[in-house]
Amino acid sequence: MNSGPALVSILRQGSTLIASIHTALDDSELVRFRTDLVGQIGEHRCRGVIIDVAALDVIDSFAALTLRTIAEMARLRGARTVIVGIQPEVAFTMVRLGMGTGGIPTALDLEEGLALLTGGADGDRRRS
Amino acid sequence: MTPSQSAEDADLAGDSGRRLAGEDLTELLAIVRRVVGARVGSLPIAEDLVQETLTRVLAAAPSVDPGLLEPYAIVTAKNLVASMWRDDDRKRRNQHRAADLRAPESPEAQALIDEERSAMASALGRLDEHERALLIEHELRGTDTRTIAEEEGTTPGAVAARLSRSRARLRVEYVLGLDSGDPPTDRCRPVLLALSSADRRRQRELDAATHLFNCDFCGRLSEPLLARGQRQDGVLRIPIAADPDIVKARGSVRELAGRLGFSRTDLTVLATAVSELCRNIVRFAGSGELLVELLEEPRPGVRVTARDRGPGIADLEAALRDGVSTYGGLGLGLPGVRRLMDEFAITSEPGAGTTVTITIWGKDPTT
Ligand SMILES: [Zn+2]
Repeated sequence: MNSGPALVSILRQGSTLIASIHTALDDSELVRFRTDLVGQIGEHRCRGVIIDVAALDVIDSFAALTLRTIAEMARLRGARTVIVGIQPEVAFTMVRLGMGTGGIPTALDLEEGLALLTGGADGDRRRS
Repeated sequence: MTPSQSAEDADLAGDSGRRLAGEDLTELLAIVRRVVGARVGSLPIAEDLVQETLTRVLAAAPSVDPGLLEPYAIVTAKNLVASMWRDDDRKRRNQHRAADLRAPESPEAQALIDEERSAMASALGRLDEHERALLIEHELRGTDTRTIAEEEGTTPGAVAARLSRSRARLRVEYVLGLDSGDPPTDRCRPVLLALSSADRRRQRELDAATHLFNCDFCGRLSEPLLARGQRQDGVLRIPIAADPDIVKARGSVRELAGRLGFSRTDLTVLATAVSELCRNIVRFAGSGELLVELLEEPRPGVRVTARDRGPGIADLEAALRDGVSTYGGLGLGLPGVRRLMDEFAITSEPGAGTTVTITIWGKDPTT
């Protein structure tokens, strides 16, 4: 269905899945992303999931809900989720909209996200 | 920063949208049917022409004085019938060009290109030097309003306002240049300019309605200045019918607001609010549209009207309360949108549709 460049990529590094969103996604694309990612978490028995949302122009109520759902489904399968790369103005808007990340840990970038997953819960820098 | 919402706000904001919502639309439909019926009888194409007329009138409605809609509908219907008989393909292409001057050049007959080029050249020639310089700087060199404002020691909003006036004039002169005849009266040019610039006060002052009724020349030329739902003077109409439209719409709105020199935060806030409103349209009404207007007073701002003819919201008060859930564990997102925006107004009628109007004003970075 998609003949153009990939909208998202999901890579495995050890027991961690790194999912990068490369462009603004519409609702059906977000749903497909959620399905793919949750499928892979189960398949690879991952312990950690990093979602890089730096390319999202907007995280509105549906996108926020999708991220929360992914984190919740990952948790039920024994994996922890960290969201990285939320742009400052996007974070500001999410708070004003009344849609935090719902307790999902966030980190500045991929590196920090990986450190957070390997460093355990102590390193949580919550932004919700 | 206080969001305002009341019936009065909604009245103000709804204006043309409301006017067309109920009986007026039915009335307009009857008039258009009569005009079309008188000319093509009961040919199968009649209903198509009626629908096409209504579509164009609705698209132009935000920039037309409500008192002008009826003559405008009649003129549009007459023109459509005439162009159907003549199968006037060239004219239609020019309509498109008149509405969106930056449309990409498609391969066409050389004669047509030459004709358009000379119409554009003579249109540019009729503008004064400042208008011409501004248009060339912005439209051809791509200099943004912020940079121009800095060079001239003024505000991006003031530059945007001047640009919009100059574009309106250029469109009028361009359409006049394409038409072989001269305007039959002194009033024609000012009327066309008032239509092209969507200046309702001026439209009323000139009694443009009566003029359009009586002047065939302006009847013919006014349509390309208003119709087609392309961008016209900062009024952008975006049809919304499916998920991908949501992403496109918020991108277009962001792009347009970016020209006013809005901050990244304001652009994101606006894009997010637009995203929520578009989603409501797709989920609940199936389809609808956004009208995006650039505002100049008291400072640069953007107003977005999201409207649909969907089922409407039975309990508005409940929909505006946080935590009301309608689909997938989410509400309509309306309380959030209201919090994000400087102004917020909503009208909804069960069975007839919903109109939400939001406004955000640019924050002056110097204060
Ligand atoms: Zn006239």
